Amino acid sequence: MKDTPDLPPRLPLRFFRAFCDPQIRDFIEGDLIELHRERIASIGKRKANLRFSKDVLLLFRPGIIRPLGFSSNLNHSAMYRNYFKIGFRNILKYKTFSFINIFGLALAMSVSMLILMMLADQNRYDQFHEKKDRIYRVLSDYEGSKNHYATSPQPLAAALAEYPAVEATAKLIPSIGGDASYDEKTKQIGGYFTDPEFFSIFSFELESGNPASALSQPYSMVISQEVAELLFGNEDPIGKAIQFTDRKVPFPLGGDAPAAPATDWGNFTVTGVIDVSKYDSHLTFDVLASSSTLPSLITAAKLEDRREDWQFYFQSYTYALLQEGKSSDDLANALNDIVKRKETEMKSEHTSGFKMDPQALSDVALGLANNDTNFRLPMFAYYFLAGLALVILASACLNYTNLSIARALTRAKEIGIRKVTGALRKNLVVQFLTESVLTALLSLTIAFVLLLALIPSFKGLWVNQYLNFDLPFIPSLFLGFILLAIVVGIIAGIYPALFLSGYQPIKALKSLSDAGGSGKLRLRKVLGVSQFVVSLFFITTSILIYNQFKHYMAFDYGFQSENIVNIPLQGMDYQKLRGELERVSGVSTISACDIIPATGTNNNNELKVLGETSEFAAVGVLNIDRNFPENLGIELVAGENFSANEQSAATQILVNETMVKDLGYPSADALVGTQFETKWGDELLVVAGVVKDFRYKLLMNEDAISPMMLRYNPTQFQYVNVKIASPDLMKTISELESHWKELDPVHPFRYEFLDQEIEATHKGIFDVVSILGFISFLAIFIACLGLLGMTTYTAERKTKEVGIRKFLGADNFSITLLLSKGFLQMLVISVILGAPLSYFVNTMWLENFPNRVGFGIGTVALGSLVLLILGALTISSQTIRVSKAKVVDTLKMD
Amino acid sequence: MGMKEFQLGEFEELVLLTVGILYQEAYGVAIKKEMEQRLTRGVRVGALQTALQRLEKKGYLKSSDEAGTQERAGRPKRFYHLNMARARWNMHAKPGKYFGRQYRTWSGI
Repeated sequence: MKDTPDLPPRLPLRFFRAFCDPQIRDFIEGDLIELHRERIASIGKRKANLRFSKDVLLLFRPGIIRPLGFSSNLNHSAMYRNYFKIGFRNILKYKTFSFINIFGLALAMSVSMLILMMLADQNRYDQFHEKKDRIYRVLSDYEGSKNHYATSPQPLAAALAEYPAVEATAKLIPSIGGDASYDEKTKQIGGYFTDPEFFSIFSFELESGNPASALSQPYSMVISQEVAELLFGNEDPIGKAIQFTDRKVPFPLGGDAPAAPATDWGNFTVTGVIDVSKYDSHLTFDVLASSSTLPSLITAAKLEDRREDWQFYFQSYTYALLQEGKSSDDLANALNDIVKRKETEMKSEHTSGFKMDPQALSDVALGLANNDTNFRLPMFAYYFLAGLALVILASACLNYTNLSIARALTRAKEIGIRKVTGALRKNLVVQFLTESVLTALLSLTIAFVLLLALIPSFKGLWVNQYLNFDLPFIPSLFLGFILLAIVVGIIAGIYPALFLSGYQPIKALKSLSDAGGSGKLRLRKVLGVSQFVVSLFFITTSILIYNQFKHYMAFDYGFQSENIVNIPLQGMDYQKLRGELERVSGVSTISACDIIPATGTNNNNELKVLGETSEFAAVGVLNIDRNFPENLGIELVAGENFSANEQSAATQILVNETMVKDLGYPSADALVGTQFETKWGDELLVVAGVVKDFRYKLLMNEDAISPMMLRYNPTQFQYVNVKIASPDLMKTISELESHWKELDPVHPFRYEFLDQEIEATHKGIFDVVSILGFISFLAIFIACLGLLGMTTYTAERKTKEVGIRKFLGADNFSITLLLSKGFLQMLVISVILGAPLSYFVNTMWLENFPNRVGFGIGTVALGSLVLLILGALTISSQTIRVSKAKVVDTLKMD
Repeated sequence: MGMKEFQLGEFEELVLLTVGILYQEAYGVAIKKEMEQRLTRGVRVGALQTALQRLEKKGYLKSSDEAGTQERAGRPKRFYHLNMARARWNMHAKPGKYFGRQYRTWSGI
């Protein structure tokens, strides 16, 4: 049947068809469809759909639901009640095993539940848009890229709007980053220039103002409630003028990046107020300004002109609202058509194989692209976490399977009796599955408590300050949890159920040992070994990554980072600030630079020696003042520092030793005085001196130091580096702050210690260590729980044998050894298999890792040792107990 | 079999009466609309269908089916009719609460 637009939503309809009694189903469905059509006409599609779902839910009641089972005249409820009763009794009777099963499953399930919560958390984004099913974002892509770009060329929105499948388009240009002032009050804001269609596409509602006209006039601005309250207090902001000073603060992913000198953009009229805090969206902003403002700013040379630039797809976001009934294919066709039509305009080096793809709004939350509008977890991170959770879950299920099969004998008589009295194999399978699902549901309650403990530590991860996981409990989550428990119960129980239900009744009743013994010893050993191999792999990997983390922390960067405070200039004049800060006692030296080395930001230029025919070569650029090398302890090995003369200093550069080597010069001194031409600038640069190599890129991004140059360029300065000599750092900093406030009362004094800033670049690794460490802990814990179960069972079974041996004169030690031997063998096999595996797999990824730590046998040995000790402790806890028991007690036991 | 087999709840009685009023036209949507109009309150499809199933089981109603139409996307209609012997019996045995008051349906028959 074709899905016509006025048919009811498919999901509830399918649900209805699934549960309804087939004898009356078609008639009721007909009624529902008829009603739905009438409702569409009277109250609209959305409400009609909602009412339809509600009707279906309320139809889910006895009398409508299809009768269970094959024949409706037999009463099965007594049978199921018996299954539950026996299930509960078994759980209560064998407390140790029940504890091992329930606790193991609970540990594993809590991790899966956390991942479910993360997914649910991401899916609440952008649900409030009324037309969300028709909204698409345009992604850009070029040949050989690793990921799509969330941004697209600026003229795209207008070109796309001409296609019939498209109802409206809007571009969002994130160029607003600066200070808004009104009546002596100033607030830093960030936001987008956008088209009037913004409000017809998205469902952000205005607290005040008219959405239809708010963004049509030039110099109109819609502000957030927060900005409104800060600037206007109780006044009505509509119609008031905000004076905006642009400082090129990066937006939307601003962070702490520094700002440029201020430019006055004039007055903007407030035309609307949005309460942004009401909405969970991937779009966040303080203000929206009308895109019709752009021409006048471009004419005044305050903004770059990208209006007709089809090559530059790194800045502007394009959103499209499709006509009803149109699909993403229609949009994709339109985009392909534009790429074809604009081929000549687009052609450039960085646009080879350029194409654009639609991304549905619902896919934005989990589909992180380059240049995206907020920090989110990329999809592969979810796969990675889900993979870890699955391994743990499988391990816990294995425990259940293992223990159930091992303890098959305890159930043999029951199975025999049931079969004799007429139970089919099918019934027994259902019975054992009922038991395993019951166990899983009990685990769920414990898992929930564990989850409550897990949530705060997850939220406390360093990376969450960017990801903003809130992890609220929403009703549908609980449904997911229960489903998870049921699925886990079935997976854990299916093999034992099939195995146990296959017993021949005569054998099961006659002799316990004939029924297949304690069953499948080899299989159980294989399962146990695989658990420990996985655990060993996790332990080794965690230790390795922790070592890598420590290695980075202790890395020699080639410059000194202690006691240096970096203060963002925030548009202030360097010389003025320097003069002020120099008066603070405890300050030893002050320098300036444009980016902080080794913290993730890099600039590049391309150079070649003047007159050479070779290609231009890329070199890193750092803009500094004369004091910078001395301040950070970067040594000059040849030549001199920048000249004291401003004009000649501007054309001088300092280069690093790698550059000397790369250019093939015999010594550093030989390069001094060489002239370079740059690819994009016309001025010639002269090498004034050569400095020792130091790290200016992230350790994670670059293995060996690449060539770089230092330029004297005061116009680019963004940070002041203040070296503090006084032992009381905090006191000096508070003095620095008071001096800052005298010069700039508006912007808050910000600072960061250089060593801490560098440390923070590796906090992400520590998060990985935390997560993997926790997973290893779970893996080993669950594997040990399984081992505990097996040893307990064996020890119990052999109690009598132990008694007889002791009676005949065996000592405690030999008995402990006898009981433990099989399990110790298992552990040793696990190490023999697991150690090389962990070594090779880890070496494989580590090889591609820049500045890697040495990964020796030591790491694997440490991991194996941890495994062996924990395993041996687990085994001996049971075997020693049994071997120490009194002979009389063991013989009396039945 | 005791009295339980014949007893009617208030809502069931209303449904029964409405089926009587609609005579040849008593199918799900029509019954729902008629009741909503007379009661001036909403009637849930679930409640209505459950009541219809029960009434048919108890023997108060009979049903006949008719092929689907376009507006029902091809789904068939089930029409309900009063099983007169049974209904009359009930009328004498147990006059409903709504009889002759808010719900003027007996006069409709």
